[in-house]
Amino acid sequence: MNQSTIRSAPGLLVDSARRMVRREPGLALGLAILAAIVAVALFPQLFTSASPFDIDVASSMLPPSADHWFGTDDVGRDIYARVIFGTRITLSICAGSLFLSAIAGGTLGLVSGFFGGWTDQVLGRFVDVLLSFPPIILGIIITGILGPQTINLILALSIVYMPVFFRIARAGAMSEIGKTYVEAARSMGINEPTILRRHVTRNVMPLILTQYMILFPLILQIQAALGFLGLGVQPPTPDWGAILEQGKDFILFAPWMSLFPGLAVLLASLSLMLVGRALQKRVDSR
Amino acid sequence: MSASLVKRLFASLLTALLASLLVFLLMRSVPGDVVSQMMGQAGGDTAENALRQFFGLDQPVYMQYFNWLLQVLQGDLGTSWTRGVPVTEMVGKAFLVTLEIGVITLLVATLVGVPLGIIAAINEGKPLDTLIQSFNILGLSAPVFWTGLMLLVGVSSVLSWSPPLRFVPPSQSLSTNLEILVLPILSLGLLQAAAYSQFVRQNVVSAMHQEYVRTAIAKGVPVRLVFFKHILRNVLIPIVTFMGLILIQILGGVVIIESLFALPGLGRLLLSAIETRDYPVVQGALLIVVATAMVVNLAVDLTYRMIDPRVRES
Repeated sequence: MNQSTIRSAPGLLVDSARRMVRREPGLALGLAILAAIVAVALFPQLFTSASPFDIDVASSMLPPSADHWFGTDDVGRDIYARVIFGTRITLSICAGSLFLSAIAGGTLGLVSGFFGGWTDQVLGRFVDVLLSFPPIILGIIITGILGPQTINLILALSIVYMPVFFRIARAGAMSEIGKTYVEAARSMGINEPTILRRHVTRNVMPLILTQYMILFPLILQIQAALGFLGLGVQPPTPDWGAILEQGKDFILFAPWMSLFPGLAVLLASLSLMLVGRALQKRVDSR
Repeated sequence: MSASLVKRLFASLLTALLASLLVFLLMRSVPGDVVSQMMGQAGGDTAENALRQFFGLDQPVYMQYFNWLLQVLQGDLGTSWTRGVPVTEMVGKAFLVTLEIGVITLLVATLVGVPLGIIAAINEGKPLDTLIQSFNILGLSAPVFWTGLMLLVGVSSVLSWSPPLRFVPPSQSLSTNLEILVLPILSLGLLQAAAYSQFVRQNVVSAMHQEYVRTAIAKGVPVRLVFFKHILRNVLIPIVTFMGLILIQILGGVVIIESLFALPGLGRLLLSAIETRDYPVVQGALLIVVATAMVVNLAVDLTYRMIDPRVRES
């Protein structure tokens, strides 16, 4: 065997990474940023030694410098540390809420599309009601009325895009029932719930996963907006939206208080959007 | 009007009814109402009970809803519990502000987004396309209120200009009114233009790869003619549909932008009413939001029928 054709595993990895950069630069960029963000979320203490909670009134509202990369806020906390430690909180709230809405919306949609009839009518009407509000307004109603607690925020965020998962799963299930494999399973005497669980669900899964990635940047924006309105995670917890909310009163004196947490939201959305788009392209071309 | 349209109208009305019921129940499911907020620690039981009776809060929830509904059917949204002003008047005033922002934003988004999308599609794969696509994705990633904040900082530090603080309706002074609205509209419009441009690009690109376009070009039809007669005509339908979607998106975005720039629109009214538990105002403001979204959807449907004969026949 030719010596040059034998490559080590890391070498192969580098090769495929290079290929991806050449063929799908958007996806490569998105994955790179996303990997960095996930690393920050998992190990924030590797990126800063400062505490996101330490108050130091003597050094309040300092502009960005070597000591405080992103400057300090009105009570002298390090914004860089707050943004870094906020990554995990912000992303896990979004990821968790979206997961809940995928489970709830996906299950209801599958059931609705598969069984049709009355179930479909009732569930469809309910989803229409939720869809009659623009998403952010639905979020405001729920968090505003129930009160600004993290648990209510998660509830609101999981309801906001539930209808989207419902519709995707319902349409998916409806297109699957007509297929030959479902007929085959039926003629073999397999009962309906089993067909739904074992066969239809598996085939609709890729659609739901893709939708999850597509909606992730949107839910991140809504989470930040609710935080900004004071309806999200409450200070002093370093959530990106909450940091932005604190900064808005000082926008003309200390714009860095708003600049950096907003950039964090932008970067995270950007990377998720790039990955989501590439994923959708693949699903569409299948 | 066709039967399917009448059916849709009824479905919309039923949805609006259920939506109002949902909000009604949600508001009454949490502890603390307008009375306990008004009285604070000071109130005695007798005073609180008297006030509850005055607002009708002592009645069972279904009676409260029924009474409200009866009022609404007569075109009366009730009276604000905290300000004593008719809700119809408050909501109407606020709606005009929101509508003005919304319509101008839609105009900006369309005028910027559609040409950008077409330019990108024509230059598919070229640097200009990449540039426009980068603008799109950046515009979509930036939180709208953050763009607003940064614009505010930008103009005040570079141009040493900041918008007037007190809102003035266009009937009083159009120039001052527009001066106040320019930053809110820019921040909202940028995001929606990006969304529009991305959508138009996608549609034009896929139309360009259709068989009939290739055939027309092979037949020797001038490219310009192919573009206007074959591509643009087919793309028009999704573009109109998307306009409705964008308008509803703007309706949501306006809420945040209004609170950032202190504009007396529906969003700010809604937020302050939720905070003070002024139920009739919350209910009235949301009714208008839901109704607007429905009218927009219906209008899109009608336009659809006008542009596409296939829909009419089916």
